Amino acid sequence: MSKLGLLLKFSFRNLIRSPKRSFILIMSLSIGTGFIIWDLNFANSGSKEVMKEFLTQYAGEYHITHKDYYKPENKKEFDNYKTLSDDEIPNKNLLTHSTKRVTAPVFVSGEKKTLGVLLTGLETQKEMALTTLERAVNVGRFLDPMGDREIILGKRLASRISVKVGDEVAVIGQALDGSVANDLMKVVGLIDFGGGDLEETLAFTQMRTAEEFLVMPPGRYHQRVDFDMKDESLPTIPGLSVTKWTELLPEIGVSIRFIDNFTWIVSFIIVLVISLGLSNSLMITFFEREQEFQTLNIIGAKASWITLSLMFEVFMMGTIAVLLGVLLGHAFTTYCYYFPVNIQLFTGGKPIIMGGMIIQPLVRLYPVSEYYWKVPLMIYFFLGTTMIYPLIRVIGRSKNAV
Amino acid sequence: MQFELLNVDKIYEVSQENKVYGAKNVNLKISEGDFMALVGPSGSGKTTILNLIAGLILPTYGTLRHGEEDITKLSLEERTKHRLDFMGFIFQDYQLLPILTAAENIEFPLQLKNYPKKEIKERVEWALNQVGLDKLGNRFPKQLSGGQQQRVSIARSIAGKPQIILADEPTANLDSKTAQEIIDLFKKLNQEFKLTFIFSTHDQRLIDQVKTVLYVKDGQISEARNHHV
Repeated sequence: MSKLGLLLKFSFRNLIRSPKRSFILIMSLSIGTGFIIWDLNFANSGSKEVMKEFLTQYAGEYHITHKDYYKPENKKEFDNYKTLSDDEIPNKNLLTHSTKRVTAPVFVSGEKKTLGVLLTGLETQKEMALTTLERAVNVGRFLDPMGDREIILGKRLASRISVKVGDEVAVIGQALDGSVANDLMKVVGLIDFGGGDLEETLAFTQMRTAEEFLVMPPGRYHQRVDFDMKDESLPTIPGLSVTKWTELLPEIGVSIRFIDNFTWIVSFIIVLVISLGLSNSLMITFFEREQEFQTLNIIGAKASWITLSLMFEVFMMGTIAVLLGVLLGHAFTTYCYYFPVNIQLFTGGKPIIMGGMIIQPLVRLYPVSEYYWKVPLMIYFFLGTTMIYPLIRVIGRSKNAV
Repeated sequence: MQFELLNVDKIYEVSQENKVYGAKNVNLKISEGDFMALVGPSGSGKTTILNLIAGLILPTYGTLRHGEEDITKLSLEERTKHRLDFMGFIFQDYQLLPILTAAENIEFPLQLKNYPKKEIKERVEWALNQVGLDKLGNRFPKQLSGGQQQRVSIARSIAGKPQIILADEPTANLDSKTAQEIIDLFKKLNQEFKLTFIFSTHDQRLIDQVKTVLYVKDGQISEARNHHV
């Protein structure tokens, strides 16, 4: 038998000499590993689902806008004079699953009050296919693709300016040519975003109406919105500067980053706690075998050989636990793919309000491949470090004694 | 090759003022075929002298030699290898590895020495045969009696054909019948194969059977007697 074979046999026999103890250690480590993998998948998928829910109501994963649309010094300040056309987008694939929007700040007047809002002109049919905006209309109806001069208002906005479905509102703004644009539009629906601020600041109309209102040349618009949630990487498009939504909506981006990082921190702490328990168990196990280590040393096993055999034993246990943990984590993730988790389980049944919109997602868990090697690596790292102290103590004490 | 302890002192410092001699001016030569016992009360220094011979501890003063090799000049790992190559050990409480069978316990030092598989098999069979346990090689230590465990321990110590076997109170945990059988086994191995044995013992039956008795008191070898057995 080779030296490696001897080490493996010796380590394996030691691993199974106390089956109950090894079983408990392996199970605690594997359940921890499995939970962390599930938890990270949940946090990742949860963030995505929340964002998807949020973005499909109003915005999109990718916005293609004119390079001067968002001013560099304040990307949230709209400049509706900057327009875009399809000719300016070199990668025509980006046009396949996206929809155009024109956006402009306007005043909307009811009988008693006038308020400033952001008016968005939509390609009605594409919007219905790509976004959930239509679902948010809970009074009246969505915009008619064939209709003209129709407007949808946020529920709170309608209430504040005292208008209801069927009423007409006066819309006043600045057209692209600098003239004052004004028109009467018929309220056909009210949007309920769950009571957030956006209900007070958003209004939607047909693309054609918006283009005419803002005196825009044919084929010009402000944004293209893409809803491809699968591709996380930013596309490289020659001639276009690509900015991720997290930069355009930094508050939400920060929240998502916080959730992701916090999940990693929690995972780290879980592993640390398991490791401390493991270290203690290893120390007890090693000390129980102290006399054996002395015997081994006396009959000719070098301290390095004894150390190596213990490391093999711990890593053997770790490998079994990690493999089992990965399987467990993946099994639970897969289960939650077919049976999505309702996020309201964690909010006491209350909806999440994000960016002024109500979010009620069912989180379908998608496995993220990087967690399947990062988590085991983290476990191995902690296993390695938790072994150091018990090993030093044991090897130090096992020398020089008959 | 001879093992030699030359003017060896081993001092344990309990405190700055309080120093205890584990061994004091010990001079000892061990030659091939010696069958020797270190005898003395508990704490007299028998085990210290055994530890010194084994290179498990180093003398405070003096020299340990094995042939031309100065053991005190070797590193810890080199001394471990030296024990593996030249020494066998027998313990009062057998010290078999519980996770290995009897045969595997005997194999273990041979595998550390990297002996070929065939030679390991032959040596293990030979050693088991010498101690009368040919049929029990597959048993784990807990499935063996105390006497059988001590026989496995002896088989482990002789399988590598060492130049010296150090035995610390080898009969202390055995009943008198088994102890006598073990003493007879030591004698047989010494006579048939010229194996060198150094015992640390209180057992009068063993003391009566050895060729040389070294009386140890306060770390010093106070008297040496030769028996003609």
